Amino acid sequence: MSDLRKALRGLDWSGWLGAGIVGLIVLAAIFAPLIAPYDPLALNIEDRLTAPDARHWLGTDQGGRDVLSRILFGARASLSVGIGAVLIGALIGVSAGIFAAYKGGLGEQVVMRIVDGVASIPLLVWAIAIVGILGVGPLAVGPLLLPNEVKIVVLVGCLFSPVFARVTYAVAKRIAGADYVRARFLQGASHWQIVSGDVLPNCLSPIIVQGTLLVAIGIVIEASISFVGLGVQPPQPSWGTMLSDARSAIYSGEWWLPVFPGLAISLTVIGFNLLGDAVRDLFDPRSEARTLVA
Amino acid sequence: MLRLVAGRIVSSIGTLLFVGLALFALTRSGPGSPARIVLGADATAEQIAQFEQAHGLDRPFLSQYAAWLGDVTRGDFGKSFVTGRDVAAEIVNALPVTLAIVLFAFLIALVFGIGIGVLAALKPGGAFDRISRFASVLGLSIPAFWLGIVLIRFLAVDLRLLPPGGYVPLSAGLTLHLQSILMPSLSLAVYYIAVLARMTQASLQETLRGDYVRTARAMGLSSRQVVFYALVNALPPVVNLAALSFGYMFGWALIIEQVFNIPGLSRALLNAISQRDFLLLQGIVFLFTAIFVFANLGADLINRVLDPRQRAAA
Amino acid sequence: MSPALLSVEGLRVGFRSADGGMVEAVRGVDFCVAPGEAVGIVGESGSGKSLSMLAVMRLLGAPARATGGRVIFDGEDLLAADEKRMRALRGRDIAMVFQDPQSSLNPALTIGRQITDVVRAHRDVSASEARRIAVESLERVGIRDAGKRLASYPHEFSGGMRQRALIAMAIACRPRLLIADEPTTALDVTVQAQIVDLIAELRRELGLAVVFISHNLQLVAEIVDRVVVMYGGKVVEDGPVEAIELAPRHPYTSLLKACVPSLSGPVGPLTAIEGAPPRLGRLPTGCPFSPRCPDAVEPCANEMPALVTEAGHRTACWRPR
Repeated sequence: MSDLRKALRGLDWSGWLGAGIVGLIVLAAIFAPLIAPYDPLALNIEDRLTAPDARHWLGTDQGGRDVLSRILFGARASLSVGIGAVLIGALIGVSAGIFAAYKGGLGEQVVMRIVDGVASIPLLVWAIAIVGILGVGPLAVGPLLLPNEVKIVVLVGCLFSPVFARVTYAVAKRIAGADYVRARFLQGASHWQIVSGDVLPNCLSPIIVQGTLLVAIGIVIEASISFVGLGVQPPQPSWGTMLSDARSAIYSGEWWLPVFPGLAISLTVIGFNLLGDAVRDLFDPRSEARTLVA
Repeated sequence: MLRLVAGRIVSSIGTLLFVGLALFALTRSGPGSPARIVLGADATAEQIAQFEQAHGLDRPFLSQYAAWLGDVTRGDFGKSFVTGRDVAAEIVNALPVTLAIVLFAFLIALVFGIGIGVLAALKPGGAFDRISRFASVLGLSIPAFWLGIVLIRFLAVDLRLLPPGGYVPLSAGLTLHLQSILMPSLSLAVYYIAVLARMTQASLQETLRGDYVRTARAMGLSSRQVVFYALVNALPPVVNLAALSFGYMFGWALIIEQVFNIPGLSRALLNAISQRDFLLLQGIVFLFTAIFVFANLGADLINRVLDPRQRAAA
Repeated sequence: MSPALLSVEGLRVGFRSADGGMVEAVRGVDFCVAPGEAVGIVGESGSGKSLSMLAVMRLLGAPARATGGRVIFDGEDLLAADEKRMRALRGRDIAMVFQDPQSSLNPALTIGRQITDVVRAHRDVSASEARRIAVESLERVGIRDAGKRLASYPHEFSGGMRQRALIAMAIACRPRLLIADEPTTALDVTVQAQIVDLIAELRRELGLAVVFISHNLQLVAEIVDRVVVMYGGKVVEDGPVEAIELAPRHPYTSLLKACVPSLSGPVGPLTAIEGAPPRLGRLPTGCPFSPRCPDAVEPCANEMPALVTEAGHRTACWRPR
């Protein structure tokens, strides 16, 4: 906790800017029902395709739906997919990394080969293809009907997991071999105590850095998959589907339809990238390179 | 040396087979068997059994995979259950289109990414460094497909400089061809320019501080040569990232092709999805995965050439 | 005495510190090197010896920079020369080899490429002529099979061979001055002596002037004519090697001499001198050595003694021995 406070103090202006943007978007997503001026799904044929004005700040779409309200609700899909995928990826990856580093022998070999295998999967192609195979309908889990996005969250999460597995594996391997950890072990500390007390805290900063940057990638992936019609299903608002709907407007001149959802994606992603960069500079100033790519 | 290279190639092929198996399993995990999809909901059990036997779908899963792999190595991706068309022929039709866009985008990304990275590394804290840092965050954050939409609006609709979409093959003339792929490739390249520029800058800044760079200066080498001395050592991580980028570009190219209405592999893949054409989908995804795996293998081999210590480790 | 080849006058090097102030690491250093003369600069790390010579080469990297003084090489003030002129001088008239041969050679390029690049940077020769010069230089520094060795990469050389290769690069264009910055520190003890012998030999054969920077007085004494002792960014003693060896006047020099460095390891002589080396920005106003000096008296800490010349032997001490 004191580390976190120290970290926040060390954040530079671009880090604060990123944190501010991320904070605003998160708040917008959470409080969308309260702050959205209109129902994002309500059709209103009389008001269709109105340019931004005092009533509709960001205009309306072909169905007369308020663009601002749809963007605010769309933030929910973007953030939940981006953050959800990272959480799932971190859970799988960290477990796999610690397991491999601790287990050693055949288990280590097998797990790390699987990690290599998953890392050699072109993310977006597989995400599109697999959602395509499974179909875009809701996912039935027992009595629950989960929306199509859940498939994307799980899928992208699995494909993100090698990043976390490798980071955790490297740290866990180093720490498991360190003299002080051996000493603690000889003093009777359990494996769990060493994992939770020595390994995890040391993995935390790279995990946070990679996680923040991966949220940015996850958001763009969600928007892209929704853009080709395999993500969030209409009429639910998502920035990707809004852009897809706006394609005809490229030619007809309703500029607000393609501009605002795109700005929303870009701004959110800029926020996470700035925050991730700043946190990385703080935790690990030497690894200046960005090795994450998708 | 040769043994190590052979080892890396074998390991890459192993990875591809392993990942291909996962793909093969996943394509069969969707709702409804291929027979059901092709023959319709009211087909009899007998008809289905007959169909499955005819297409080898009743054989054990692993033997189906082995048979498919065997065919693929001969360039035979099978015949679609749905359309009856040859999958390899469909891929061969669409691949050059996607390849043209990706290769052009890759070229743009390499030239500008490495160029900007080098210039920014030469004067840390300078104006160019600061501008490029700022621009690279933008480049990383603006989704390619939205950039494509914006470019169409400005360059095609407003300024009428370029066609708004479609694809002209090279056989119809170089200028027309380049005009048709310029916007798609540029939209695709921007993210990777940013990625490569950042990596080049960070890596070169590091090697420029190396002792051997000081030696080169102490011996009076020209500044161009001094930069070259640092750059050869800065390249390996850039090469790795470029290979990853090349592999990933095919995925984003699918989205970009949709924006620009280009009849590449994207259209084939989305058709395969909507028609539940497993073999076509499997073929396309396997091809992309193979490209990804072999691009990384290529980077590994290039780095062995760049770094003599690695070469010696063989 | 012949006119100096290199004359350093009142050289100052400073660092811009984090709070924006300047911290001086070299505080007014004077010494000369005559043509063909070998001079040892001795001092512990932080004494400013390496920084002074990097300043001579104009190779100081940010945040360090030369803040005052003159460096006259062959009648020309190097601190006032432009970068283009410096590039022409470096490697052709003055060459410098560094401490760690492991990291000082480019790991990605062949030895031959690195030497011929130096040759071709300064002389308008064909590729084959550059190769011939490279082979000749490698042979001169005692590398056998030099023709074949051109295609080798640095990692294929042993530590001593790498340092020889670096020296071959340095002498390829027949400079008049060779600056060697702790060239043996990173090497095995047995190899150290070979490199020292090589430098002595090259000096004799090529008529090179040599500046040999070291923390090891004993080692330097074997090949130099004169020793400059530095402490806390200042020259504290400067004299003919015999005088320094037999009758050092500065207490620091005699302590350096007293704690004879063992040849069995890189243990520096200062392990035996009481106290820690001085820290930049925390130096006393007077003699920098006064806090550790066994002979220190009242004025030592408050007032810097001037360098007093006596029979070609300079000493900055209130109570010379």
